[in-house]
Amino acid sequence: MIQLTDVQKYFYRGESREVHALKNINLTIEKGEFSLLNGPSGCGKTTLLNAIGALDSVDSGKIYLDEKEITTLSEDERTLLRLNEMGFVFQSYNLVPVLSVEENIGFIMKLRGFDDDVIKNRVHEVAELLEIENKLQSLPNTLSGGQQQRVAVARAVASKPKIILADEPTANLDSKNSIALMNMMRRLNEEEGVTILFASHDEYVIESVRRIIKLNDGGIVED
Amino acid sequence: MFSLALKNILFYRGRSITTFVLTFFSALMFIVYVALMDGSHGSMLKNALKVYTGAIEIYKKGYREEGGNDYLIEDVASVEKVLSKVEGISDYTSRYETYGLLSSKDRSTAAMVAGIEPQKERKLSELYSTLVSGEYLSENSGNCLYAGVDLVKKLQVKLGDEVSFVGSASDNSFAADLFKLCGTFRTGAFEFDSTAAFLSRSYFDELMYAKNKASYITIRLDDLNKVDAVNEEIIKHLDSQYESVTWKVLMKSMVQAMQVDSIFGYISIVLFFVVIFFVIMIFGFINVSSRVREFGTLRSIGLTRGKIRLLLFNEIFILSTTAILLATPIGAYIAYYFSLHPFVMEGISETYKDYGVVSDEIPLAFNLFTISWNVAVIYLLNFLSIIYPIRYINAFKPVEASHHV
Ligand SMILES: Nc1ncnc2c1ncn2[C@@H]1O[C@H](COP(=O)(O)OP(=O)(O)O)[C@@H](O)[C@H]1O
Ligand SMILES: [Mg+2]
Repeated sequence: MIQLTDVQKYFYRGESREVHALKNINLTIEKGEFSLLNGPSGCGKTTLLNAIGALDSVDSGKIYLDEKEITTLSEDERTLLRLNEMGFVFQSYNLVPVLSVEENIGFIMKLRGFDDDVIKNRVHEVAELLEIENKLQSLPNTLSGGQQQRVAVARAVASKPKIILADEPTANLDSKNSIALMNMMRRLNEEEGVTILFASHDEYVIESVRRIIKLNDGGIVED
Repeated sequence: MFSLALKNILFYRGRSITTFVLTFFSALMFIVYVALMDGSHGSMLKNALKVYTGAIEIYKKGYREEGGNDYLIEDVASVEKVLSKVEGISDYTSRYETYGLLSSKDRSTAAMVAGIEPQKERKLSELYSTLVSGEYLSENSGNCLYAGVDLVKKLQVKLGDEVSFVGSASDNSFAADLFKLCGTFRTGAFEFDSTAAFLSRSYFDELMYAKNKASYITIRLDDLNKVDAVNEEIIKHLDSQYESVTWKVLMKSMVQAMQVDSIFGYISIVLFFVVIFFVIMIFGFINVSSRVREFGTLRSIGLTRGKIRLLLFNEIFILSTTAILLATPIGAYIAYYFSLHPFVMEGISETYKDYGVVSDEIPLAFNLFTISWNVAVIYLLNFLSIIYPIRYINAFKPVEASHHV
């Protein structure tokens, strides 16, 4: 479903020093995977995830989502691609503070133009799966970190994207919440068949995924 | 996008209240200030016209530049016949003005001495209504002199005293006579009150050989707003040796003074708006830059730059619309109320007496067109104020923004 060929990415710091953040990445992610980009801090996990998520550009190589080549898209095209095909979970939840939990979960569906009824049903469905159905009317800042992250997952999964990209989703959570979150995400993967790709070096994530892609210094060292 | 904007407004209350209050007060101030400026100018003009200057005056060509006996209207009756046929004229009268020396026992001074038609003049100027002591003139008041209070002060005379006159008649021959002070007036315009004195034409014309002659004919209109149309009509019928000029020309210096005043008024209000604009912009900017992560997230999960722009425009739209919707009726009501009940500013006539302002009352101008463009300016400023914050936020890449601290 996702295919990367010879992807390279540099960061330029000042004029002289550059960072070769992604070195010749070749990688395929199939539909329904529950996989992890793993490796020490600074090895390029986030950079790779952002490239796959069309959040950031690459310097060379190609990335295909199904048949579509995404590295050549314009900024607005990439934005729409993210809206229509992808879900994101960030380390620091990044919910919309002025919207209730229910509105946050339904936000992407609303942007994509789903009917209000459809949105409502779907929001309740995923909220139940993620055990936040009794918090639907609350504002995000009244929830615990674990609950907020589950709202973020619900938002990502509600519109049934092709893939969910989760960058260090457990980094701000304690062990209990981390385990609970991973269990729920695994259930989503199994019950809804949603493809999920993590970037993390957290042991709970490592224990829970089915495939681990090990990175070091910008390259894939083990798959 | 609209409901999200609304929620943002309710959520980020500090910025919303500041923007709302600033917009509200600047709209209100702008409307009232412009109404006051227009209103005071309008009333200055009206008062000045009421005092002595006509809406339209007819001269023999050359009189206004050269003056004197060579440029008198020689046949008043024929001009008046023309005027009687023009529509829109309510009254007119002729004046014979000359400059001469007025002397009392102890003092003498140069003065503008004019022969007027007392009854007709009542409808054209404030000479009658500004009577202070004694009596106004009449057709058969003979050598009665009706003089400004400051002129009387200069001559140190009182009612009933004799005042001698020396000047030149309309044929440039020597003219001298003894007048009797019968009445005094005060228009409030110092220049005028200290130099002008009047006699009935029936008497003065004999002395000056000025029968059927005039320095000019002054005209009052039914509707001052139609001054240009009426003037054109007059010119069409008027003999080419005469010219017909409107108050706009006659009071050029006053009109120019008011224009200068308006320009300074607008400059100060522009400065005021520049300050308001930057304050609103800074609050908008502070607000937006505290929300960089939020916008980064929105961009990451699928809002285009255009949608972000729309969102921020919606926010400022809601804020300024509510503020303006509240301010406009209040401002309009204030302008309307004070256009009917002018407020009194002590001393204003003193300050502007040189322009012939005789009243301390200042009505506000109530003009819906003016109010609309005032409101449009405030709207525009508000929209402009959000452009920089939008550019700032949209310059971020989504990745940068969503990790922004
Ligand atoms: N915006 C950036 N500018 C410059 N260098 C960057 C930027 N983002 C990441 N890097 C560098 O690229 C490398 C990979 O970073 P990243 O993908 O964030 O690693 P990880 O997520 O595995 O910790 C690091 O050396 C990091 O310093
Ligand atoms: Mg990272």
